[in-house]
Amino acid sequence: MEMDPLEVFEVRMPGEDYGADKYRDIIMDILQDLGLIRSIGRLYVYVEIEIPYFAVFGMIRGKQPPLKVRDVGDLVPTEGGYQITVEDEEHMANLIRVLWGTYGREKVEQPDRNVLVVLSDESPEELMVADLETEFRRDLMDALVRIAPEGFRNRRNEMGKESFFFLAAEETITPELVADAKEKIRGMQNA
Amino acid sequence: MLDPVMFTGGVYKHDLVTELIEDLGGYLLQKNVTQSEVILLMLVPHEDMPVLEALTKELKGKLERAPLAGTEIAVVTPTLAIHHLPHPACDVAEYLRRHGAKSNMIGMGRGVAREIAQIDEYETGLINEHDAVVFTFGNFADCILKKEHLYRTLTIPVIVTGGPEMKKEDLPYAFEYVANVGRIAHRSRKATEIGSLDNIVAAVGRALDSVRASISKDPLTTTPPRVMEAVREQVPDVSASLSPLPIALNLNGLRIKLPYQEYHEAVAGVTFDEGVTLGEIAKVMPSRMKSYILVRILPTSETGFVV
Repeated sequence: MEMDPLEVFEVRMPGEDYGADKYRDIIMDILQDLGLIRSIGRLYVYVEIEIPYFAVFGMIRGKQPPLKVRDVGDLVPTEGGYQITVEDEEHMANLIRVLWGTYGREKVEQPDRNVLVVLSDESPEELMVADLETEFRRDLMDALVRIAPEGFRNRRNEMGKESFFFLAAEETITPELVADAKEKIRGMQNA
Repeated sequence: MLDPVMFTGGVYKHDLVTELIEDLGGYLLQKNVTQSEVILLMLVPHEDMPVLEALTKELKGKLERAPLAGTEIAVVTPTLAIHHLPHPACDVAEYLRRHGAKSNMIGMGRGVAREIAQIDEYETGLINEHDAVVFTFGNFADCILKKEHLYRTLTIPVIVTGGPEMKKEDLPYAFEYVANVGRIAHRSRKATEIGSLDNIVAAVGRALDSVRASISKDPLTTTPPRVMEAVREQVPDVSASLSPLPIALNLNGLRIKLPYQEYHEAVAGVTFDEGVTLGEIAKVMPSRMKSYILVRILPTSETGFVV
């Protein structure tokens, strides 16, 4: 589904207008800190302070393909192997780990800070450096735990392919509570 | 009448300031040297302020009033988790510090949530050792109302901070409530946010004034800065304490950062020019903070004299 980053962002907290306003800022700050805003299309937050619970429902924008060696650096065949020149060092550690795992330490050389040489006939082009999708989901989970008020220690998390639903409450989470939260979120979506 | 002031200037010749304070009969509370800068926190006799102002001008330093100097303020957060720290609790603590207070941050063990929040006897005792306390609560009016039991048993003035506007009569156990602080996930930098911090400092100032007023009804046998001077002279080991502030002043006593077991007798034996010892005019007891020594000066009504 094509969506703009955070094209819908609604926070509803009956009886707590100030809290709704502030939580909008907090959510924005935390998503920005973790670099997640571009990956979320729609976000609905509903808080019922009487019970109390904190529910978040979001739609994820597109799937992120796994990051391969050819995505992180320039690959050039050289004498007896391949040379990889890395410009963005963010994935350097992962890249070295993958090359070591595949070819063995003795076959991987690093003549310069951002240059790696693999002594093998097999091209490392298609090796997977990082699974961005898993990383994104882990960061998203971290963000949700950070966003929910800390006292809400009982958490339920339903991670789907295109959407996620997160519920945090002070008391034990019952099926009725989950149903109620989902009902409220559906109400927000249809409004 | 002693005026609390903060001197900021170069390290070069700053000893002229400390010597002048000594000559005037004032007290140096704290000295912080940061590379080539020095920050001095002092109590200066009101009538001698022009002398100090002239010297400050000559040294090209800056002299500011530090209304909270000589006090210890606790800043309490419901826990030490990322939800409550570092913003805004650190902003509040740092802002109080800039106005001269010694601020201590306390994260409660089980202060979270609406129904399960609780405070234990140790935390109550520790917070009560301060002159005033700032509780940082969140953005939900309902939670702020229901968390009242956390500070109901405290004997010192409590400043409650939170997000929404609340009526004073809804929080009968709080000395004052400061709105527009609440939970934020970024550092306070907007004018409105800094304004809220100013409101907290003002509220703390009023709380301390109320404590001072109640102390003045039955004055202390001697003043805490005088005890500090005597302890510094007669228990020289205190200068070897690694704390940034080896002796922290309270309105009704002081906290000496030396192990209680080894030093409480030496502290109680500190003698004043009038011939009385500290043990006779004050309670010397173990502090709840680490193994420090807590001194609480007795009021005149208990000792029957003033030194």
